[in-house]
Amino acid sequence: MKLLLKHVFSKFALVMLATLYFIGIASAKDLVIMTSLPSMEFPFFVHMQKMMDQEAKSIGGIKILSADGQNRVPKQTADVESAIIQGVDGIIISPIDVNAMAPALQQAIDAGIPVVTVDRYVGGVPGIYAHVGADNVKGGEAQARLIMKQFPNGATIVNLQGQPGASPAIDRNKGLHNVLDGKSKYKIVAEQTANWSRDQGMSVTENILVGLSSPPDVINGANDDMALGAMEAVKARGLNVKILGFDALPEAIAAVRDGSLMATVEQFPGGQAKTALNLLVNDLRSSMKPYNRVISLNPITITSENYRKNAERIGEVK
Amino acid sequence: MLKDRKNFLYYLGVLTPIIFLILLILIFSSLHPRFLHPLNIFNVMRQISITGLIALGMTFVIIVRGIDLSVGSLIALCGLVGAVIAKGGLVERFSVGLDTELANPWYWALAGSVLIGLLAGTLNGVCITKLKVPAFVVTLGGLSAYRGTALIVSDGGPISGFNEAYRWIGQGKIGMVPIPVIIFLVFIVLCHIVLKYTVYGRYIYSVGGNPEAARLSGINIDLIITSTYIITGFFVGLSAFILSARLNSSEAVAGMGYELNVIAIVVVGGTSLFGGMGSILGTIIGAMLFGVLQNGLVLLNVSSYIQQIIIGIILVLAVTFDKFSKSARQV
Repeated sequence: MKLLLKHVFSKFALVMLATLYFIGIASAKDLVIMTSLPSMEFPFFVHMQKMMDQEAKSIGGIKILSADGQNRVPKQTADVESAIIQGVDGIIISPIDVNAMAPALQQAIDAGIPVVTVDRYVGGVPGIYAHVGADNVKGGEAQARLIMKQFPNGATIVNLQGQPGASPAIDRNKGLHNVLDGKSKYKIVAEQTANWSRDQGMSVTENILVGLSSPPDVINGANDDMALGAMEAVKARGLNVKILGFDALPEAIAAVRDGSLMATVEQFPGGQAKTALNLLVNDLRSSMKPYNRVISLNPITITSENYRKNAERIGEVK
Repeated sequence: MLKDRKNFLYYLGVLTPIIFLILLILIFSSLHPRFLHPLNIFNVMRQISITGLIALGMTFVIIVRGIDLSVGSLIALCGLVGAVIAKGGLVERFSVGLDTELANPWYWALAGSVLIGLLAGTLNGVCITKLKVPAFVVTLGGLSAYRGTALIVSDGGPISGFNEAYRWIGQGKIGMVPIPVIIFLVFIVLCHIVLKYTVYGRYIYSVGGNPEAARLSGINIDLIITSTYIITGFFVGLSAFILSARLNSSEAVAGMGYELNVIAIVVVGGTSLFGGMGSILGTIIGAMLFGVLQNGLVLLNVSSYIQQIIIGIILVLAVTFDKFSKSARQV
């Protein structure tokens, strides 16, 4: 009898222990989320990644697997495929290309993994859980409207475009032209690409300045790097030309504060990252569906009047 | 009769890059009134100084049948190391603006930048000669590895804001001549003398023309080949510093694509990718050709897409004529 009781008790204890073990695992289990951004070579995406890591830490119970797309679609596709194999709970991605990333993301959704796109969107994948992004066209329009506000009597403008083919370059250029085309007071006297690069921003501006018979009133840059390069070229000639950038990097914010840049544009990379992460986690943890599936933030211009209040990275500026 | 034809084609080949350059200058100056303005001329010279300095080193490398694809990434790494030294550490990077206080003066930044260039050049050279891995592969690996190291050093952001003494090297002038141009001219003369009039220069041509014969005649070809990569490393370190002084900033994304520009400059200038032939003066003509081309196309407000096509066509044309003359020479 004693032997039988001992036997049953030991089995029972084993089952209890096993149950407790699995309950423990289930509740202590972190959510595993893969974040995939186009390229860690760009400060913009490095900052976005940092913000996601920070937000994950403050929410708690989240493990972030970060992947660098290295600006190549095959690499980003491979990252998504490896996430599917690892059985992640969710994916946050800024797709390098609006069409080429569709197959991989469709695969992820078919495997039951919710996908949230951030900053850039993907086309032709109806099952995307949500999109959080800034409207680059509206950003370009905001730049144009600021130019019109600061130069009510008209202005000659030089437009430094981003890398040909990149969607932010196309959208920001479109926005600028949407507002300025057809207004004879505002003339775009030169329009060249400087490929997002500070180096080319400087040399292209140097060349343009020599080529024009009189200096322009404004140089509009599709990103801060090109604008800061243009700034050096303008300073070297001792000219007084107003310059706009886009991205609100800490360096650009400091330049706006010091008066060397007229303005930059804030598109809230940190805000985008945090919103995207929260949307995903709410769905995974409490099945809460978002009010809006597409959250499109309007970029705002940062000038010497509002940089303290509205610039996201003001804390990094000394 | 045959001999006369050979001579004519030979000279045509040597002169091809110069003829192209003169043609371009004539075309652009007739299409744009301010092309020959002194300001524009100095702009072009200043813009070609940085890739031009690296091209001086690359000339040595290509003559000995080598190639260096890592120069673009290395320029970012060297520039960042220099900037970190100037600022006294990574933590200080976000103090930006003109005339920021520097922890260390500019010459320490220059020294650091050049040192990293020399080390990387040595590493390239040793891997190529001792491990017997092809130069293309080693420097391709370098292109990736140096860029990655630069990203680690920069921790994802640019390092900007140097004081006036630092910036003067990239932005200052003596009289009307920009400092980078002066530095470029000094090294053009030095490299030309070394390549044409020293024993070392003779060795370079021998090793490039026929490595086996050179080795059998007692030349230490491993040392000669490694030295060309070290020279290139030196020039990369130097131009990385000048670039950061010119832009008032160092970034991990600096120098992207430079390696192809530099190689194009050297090849268009008449240096053969098969080795054994080439000259500093040819490289300078190549640098001026591309500088003038890019400057002129921007002045004329040519669309960026068309610019890329034109540059590609000119590159192929220039080298084609060069090859015609070389094959005539072998007759």
